[in-house]
Amino acid sequence: MGDDYFEWTERLFDPGQLFAKPEALEGVRVVEAAHIIMGPVNADYLGEFGAEVVKVELPGSGDNMRYVIPDGRPWKNGNPAFFNVNHSKYHVGLDLHRPEGQALFRRLVARSDVLVENLVPGTLEEWGIGYRALSELNPRLVYVADSGFGQWGPFSVGRASYDGVAQVASGLAAVSGFPGRPPLKIGVWIGDYFGAILAAVAVLAALEHRERTGKGQYVDFAQSEGLIRTMDWTWLYRDQAGRDRERSGNRDQAIAPSDIVACRDGMIAIAAGADDEFRGLAVAMGRAEVADDPRWKTLDARLRPEANAELCRLVAAWAASRTVAELEALAARHGFAAAPVLDAATIHADPHFRHRRAVFPVDDGVYGPLADAGPAPKLSATPGRHKWTARPVGFHNDYVLTRLLGLSREEIRQLEAQGVVGKWADRPGAKPPDGWAGEGAVFS
Amino acid sequence: MTDVAREWSEWVRERTAPTTVAAKPEALDHLRVLDVSRANFGGLFASSLLAEFGAEVIRLEPPGGDLARRFSPEGRMIGDTGLAYLVEGRNKLATTLALETVEGRALFQRLVGRADVVIEAFRPGLLDSWGIGYRQCAAEHPGLIWVALATYGQFGPRAPRAIPDYDVANQALSGVVFATGEMPGSEPPEPWEVPTKIGTWMGWYAAGAWAAFAVLLAVRHRRRSGLGQLVDVSGAEGLMRLANYNLVWHAMYGKQLFRVGNVDLGIYPYGIVKTRDGYAFLAGFSDVNFRALCAIMGRPDLPEDPRFRTFLDRARLENMVPLKAEIERWSSQHTGDEILAKVQAYRGAGIVATAKASVPGEVLVEDHWRERGALTVVDDPVYGRLLLQASPLHMTETPPRVKWACRPVGADTEFVFGKYLGLGREALAELRARGVV
Repeated sequence: MGDDYFEWTERLFDPGQLFAKPEALEGVRVVEAAHIIMGPVNADYLGEFGAEVVKVELPGSGDNMRYVIPDGRPWKNGNPAFFNVNHSKYHVGLDLHRPEGQALFRRLVARSDVLVENLVPGTLEEWGIGYRALSELNPRLVYVADSGFGQWGPFSVGRASYDGVAQVASGLAAVSGFPGRPPLKIGVWIGDYFGAILAAVAVLAALEHRERTGKGQYVDFAQSEGLIRTMDWTWLYRDQAGRDRERSGNRDQAIAPSDIVACRDGMIAIAAGADDEFRGLAVAMGRAEVADDPRWKTLDARLRPEANAELCRLVAAWAASRTVAELEALAARHGFAAAPVLDAATIHADPHFRHRRAVFPVDDGVYGPLADAGPAPKLSATPGRHKWTARPVGFHNDYVLTRLLGLSREEIRQLEAQGVVGKWADRPGAKPPDGWAGEGAVFS
Repeated sequence: MTDVAREWSEWVRERTAPTTVAAKPEALDHLRVLDVSRANFGGLFASSLLAEFGAEVIRLEPPGGDLARRFSPEGRMIGDTGLAYLVEGRNKLATTLALETVEGRALFQRLVGRADVVIEAFRPGLLDSWGIGYRQCAAEHPGLIWVALATYGQFGPRAPRAIPDYDVANQALSGVVFATGEMPGSEPPEPWEVPTKIGTWMGWYAAGAWAAFAVLLAVRHRRRSGLGQLVDVSGAEGLMRLANYNLVWHAMYGKQLFRVGNVDLGIYPYGIVKTRDGYAFLAGFSDVNFRALCAIMGRPDLPEDPRFRTFLDRARLENMVPLKAEIERWSSQHTGDEILAKVQAYRGAGIVATAKASVPGEVLVEDHWRERGALTVVDDPVYGRLLLQASPLHMTETPPRVKWACRPVGADTEFVFGKYLGLGREALAELRARGVV
């Protein structure tokens, strides 16, 4: 045993078999009444593992995220930022402001398992389609409301919130960046995307409770609070030491050494928290005596701030004249961690991440070949997958309204004429690619 | 706020307030989890999430304790345990077992037979080479769900050349570090003008959150098929999936995220600015919202400036920097709280979002977080009074909760080994003498 471990895992996770395997959330229908990032990505994570996500958007313009386009440069009339949070969904243009739209929405939710929304707290209540009304129709409904500050509490009242608000309100920005410099905004929407996993965990726990009791429930999740939860020892340190955690750049204050340093040809993360890993690093540095120096011999000693800083300086000085590849080879040989700072181009080209479908290719029916960040956890029996990319507003109206709500074509055309149901506006972000002639359409 | 919204808010508060939590059922109190991870806060956060939902989590640490107990700022310890572990020891039972010994491995296999989920973070293939990996255990227990955490995962060309799983390595590989940090510009570059990690252990916490999510997916599949599975979690890939449109943008246009400090790639105003008492975040990037911000600042001239006129003008990096300077001329005259008050008092068209950049001590005293119970105090019989973050998931039926903070190394070995393996005091004394527990 053991020798063939990786041959066995290659067979177990064979990417070629991915679509031959079942999906964990098959049979779970999620209605998404959400926009921008956190709500849509919350639903997206469920969709990656097989939930059928019906995304309800305003007819015509749709989700406002369609227009937050990097560089203002749409791609085939789509938006890369929108694509990343809307995979394999069914896009329905349905006006929830209108009583007829609300009636259809009730029928849709009555036949669904999960509702994800991130509108201003109370909005769906105002429209008569809030949790209390919907759970009466469908007591098994799991309803998750994502927001900046939650449905209740002083900050929840009349206060706009974005990911950036959560980053600073949680204290995350204050503990990121370098000492003596400003707090640092993280370069990705971490409060949204991370919050969405926590909310997705809540959905799955609620579905498990429903399996046992038949009862649905309501989940109130605030992204700032999600970030507070993830800030490891920040709060206990404040309480025990009586002072705030300082920013320390790339140097870890609770693992030593752990830092990001510059090589000749790029930046690299290096970590060696365990004493044997540290000894390996010292040997790799050609400085075995460092591992016996009383300042650094044990982790406890290395964690003293001056000792940690001095040690990280030694490591940086050593790395400066090496290449990233040399350090990675030394790490593998001597049992410490070294990993390069990667950009998107390098990740795309990396055979490892491509093979694992961390970079997930889709040959899309409407847009053609594309690749995006794939489902994060790799499950051997029920792997996640992307089936298609985002779609224009209302792309699946006929499919959803006919198949799920049993409307006739005539009824759909009437609702369209009334503006209750609708497809895309003639606008980049909302509409199909120029010259699109119905490729990839479903049931229309 | 309308009456409907106010009444709704009150309805949720009554059903999810911290005082209502303890009396409610737990969603996962039918699951038993063995967390045998070492030196890994990805594994620990995963088992924390499950334990908060009621799963019985049994920690199997090496005799002497998990190294994770020593990952603590300044090496600060309370008794045998550091601050980071005290946060993630919640609701878990603490046992020890030397997997390096033959006897330890046999006991491990017996415990696995009584468990639903195993969480481990050993070098990929190590437990397999000891005969106690998923492959061997699943042969006897096909319903077993097994989570393995490793930076490069369990398969793929790079997997066999594994490195120890660390937060900083996961962050570096994810693309997030490349996209975070102050803009380059100085010549020679200042030491802080480099790709910068998220200050906290997000490369581990992302792994842990995905691992818990995957466990629940697998539990659902097992309910239908009777079969468990192997779950392979890489913290690097976990964070990669949180890195915006980085990869798809590259696939479309060959473009990618890069670091721009406290402005933004693609939208502005959306960033951190100087205030009289520190820093604050301010956003108003669409045309109507930008006009609102300018009205609040008393600068109706700014939207007329050709550099700032349209959404796309403001989205150009070379225009963001002067616009930030214009905003700071105003914001640096006011405190973060004053800016919030001015934003909240604005009644015109458009929406501006702001919050001061709170340091941890400021977050702790906010009424909002106190009322919602974002942090909780546990009076631990061993470790004393501990301030810990609570679960942010406010649920009406099965709210997650913190029941106890942390158990000392090996504190529950007798209870667990007695309950599940029938090993009593004498048997354990012999195992202890041989260094197995």
